[in-house]
Amino acid sequence: MHATSRRRFLELAGLGVAATAIGRRPASAQSKQLTFLHESSFIKTFDEYFQKTLALAYEKETGVKVNYELTSVGSLPTRVSTISETGSGADVMMMFFLLPFLFDEKLLDVSDIAEEAGKTQGGWYDSAREAATVNGKWKVIPFSNIGQLMNWRTDWFAEVGVKKFPETWEELYEVGKKLKAKDHPFGFELGHGFGDNHGWLYPLLWSYGGHEVEEDGKTVIIDSDETARAIDFARKFFRDTMLDDVLGWTDVSNNKAWYAEQISCTNNAESILWLAKRDFPEIAKVTDQAMNPAGPKGRFHIMSAISHGIFNFSPQKEEARAFLRWLTNEKQLGGWYASADTYYQPLLHGYDKAPMWDVEPRNIPYRDALANAHLVGWPAPPSRHLAESVAKYVVVDMFAKACTGTSTKEVIKNAEVQLKEIYRAV
Amino acid sequence: MSLRSDPLIGAARSVRYAAPLSVWLDRQSVFSWLMMAPPLLFLAALVGYPFCYGIVLSLQDRPVAHPGTFVGLKNFATNFNDPIFWRVALNTFVYTVVATLLKMIGGLALALAMNQQFPLKNLVRALLLLPFIVPTVLSTVAWMWILDPAFSVLNWLLVLLGVPKPGPSWLGNPILAMLSIIVINTWRGLPFYGITLLAGLQTVPPELYEAATIDGASGWQRFRYVTLPLLQPIILIVTLFSVIFTFADFQLVYVLTHGGPQNATQLFATYAFDIAMGAGQLGLGASVALAMLPALALLILALTIYMRRR
Repeated sequence: MHATSRRRFLELAGLGVAATAIGRRPASAQSKQLTFLHESSFIKTFDEYFQKTLALAYEKETGVKVNYELTSVGSLPTRVSTISETGSGADVMMMFFLLPFLFDEKLLDVSDIAEEAGKTQGGWYDSAREAATVNGKWKVIPFSNIGQLMNWRTDWFAEVGVKKFPETWEELYEVGKKLKAKDHPFGFELGHGFGDNHGWLYPLLWSYGGHEVEEDGKTVIIDSDETARAIDFARKFFRDTMLDDVLGWTDVSNNKAWYAEQISCTNNAESILWLAKRDFPEIAKVTDQAMNPAGPKGRFHIMSAISHGIFNFSPQKEEARAFLRWLTNEKQLGGWYASADTYYQPLLHGYDKAPMWDVEPRNIPYRDALANAHLVGWPAPPSRHLAESVAKYVVVDMFAKACTGTSTKEVIKNAEVQLKEIYRAV
Repeated sequence: MSLRSDPLIGAARSVRYAAPLSVWLDRQSVFSWLMMAPPLLFLAALVGYPFCYGIVLSLQDRPVAHPGTFVGLKNFATNFNDPIFWRVALNTFVYTVVATLLKMIGGLALALAMNQQFPLKNLVRALLLLPFIVPTVLSTVAWMWILDPAFSVLNWLLVLLGVPKPGPSWLGNPILAMLSIIVINTWRGLPFYGITLLAGLQTVPPELYEAATIDGASGWQRFRYVTLPLLQPIILIVTLFSVIFTFADFQLVYVLTHGGPQNATQLFATYAFDIAMGAGQLGLGASVALAMLPALALLILALTIYMRRR
């Protein structure tokens, strides 16, 4: 009985495998489909607009069904890496930050689509070109920036006599000292988050004239008087205006602190006001937004560009290209941008005066900031070495260590050693 | 009487060669290998292949989306010159050793307490498993609120006791941040230790305790000379598991601090992930991940030898 059972088990297992193999049907009968991998948007109406309006319109026009596959923004690099390494997956992908430059060799040249969009929609911002081109070729189609700007409490600033957001870092520092004394400290992320730390630290460094690497993309120039001045400012800015906890903050922390009415000023995307209007209307009433303060060398902002690209190994390259061309047309783009108010700031000048900017005037600084926005590591061209520097938090930790008491000279030296090791092979 | 064995053996052989498939499958040796094959293939595909591929990657300069070039041990040399790598090594060592010790001592105490008779014993035992059952990401988010100075129940209590507002910055201070992740890891891993050791305690024959009591052994002596020696094999196994899990911990740090502040909580797994996925340096990332291997192997070897000698 025992032996028979064993035999029967194996026979059944064999039959099962055979049935599975025979049971497969060719996919030729299926209708045409494209998969579009995108972050799950913070603004739900944005995803809904694509699913319920754009995807249906495209299917009606062309017969091609677009599967809008959502993933969290944090897992996007892993998903894109998997597609790149296995050579299969989504046909069109959202990319952001430095991803287009890590995958440049596998991305299809989409210059024709980008140039056409530029011609018909008012021209691209310079920062869009910076975030999407490699050796003069457009590797992705820029979609938007998600700017990081100053968010401030008008009621508490008014308590110390300030009605208009300060123009310079030094002026902001003076206001911050007074506000901290009144138990309304500032909160700027100095921990290992993803965007809110780089969002203010790189612009601060640039506004004092400091840079990591030269324009040639290999000469490390972090050790400069300008960097030292930026660090000295950051140290006193932290000590006299902020909560100690910012050293351990990640990207959600400043939002929590804002809605807990714990901080009077931070650096964040528009989402902080958007969510306040939805869930904390009393806080929304006293929230305003402003461009980053200027330093001795000017005013700067971070470019956190979102873009769309196609891998060159895609079996549906032409279909994907046709879809991206259709999506980049103003008929489609305008509605999609408007569905998220201005959370996604367009990088084409044609949208500078679009009606969506009238919906919430407090968002307008996010549009104006595009004029002097740059990718992390600017003026060095984006590269995998730069991505390594960012992944190792070299600049963020340089500032953070200074804020915890390490000398300016030592933090700069440490950063320089790390950067020289990273850029050694260039 | 002579035995005519040769023709019989020949006949048996011919029967064996001509045996149908079913008879062949009935053989213990064949059947056992057939049953072993799926898990072996599974292990080879999901553990063996990634491990070997990781070794190959670690010997290459292999940016994501680009072909790799063999560079020998250059990635390991790069790590050797990387100050963060050494910080990460120290962090991982401290985190593993302290958390494992706390879990071992706490788990043993928990098991001894749970081995007593008290009302609702089974319910309490089941509830104790909760930290281990709840998904790590979920429990870590709860801890994020507990450790946030604005909302922290800990800070609220400390402020009540006279600590100046807003209380300690649990995740902003490098030492407190490491302490925090150790405590959370211990909280999460304690039930695993406790329940496993409890199972071991229940296998100790009561006669041994009775004999020890008759011989005049005190409670401590019964624990020291009866309980502990009999629990030793289980402690070894559970410690080995714990060391491996703690050494390679990822989720807790990734969600809570992402290695901050200033790499104070960066561990091998999170650092390897940042380099491989954040920077797209698959070769360098693989070399960081593989750097765990010798340390882990040595730690486990030392522990095994120590426990066996005892």
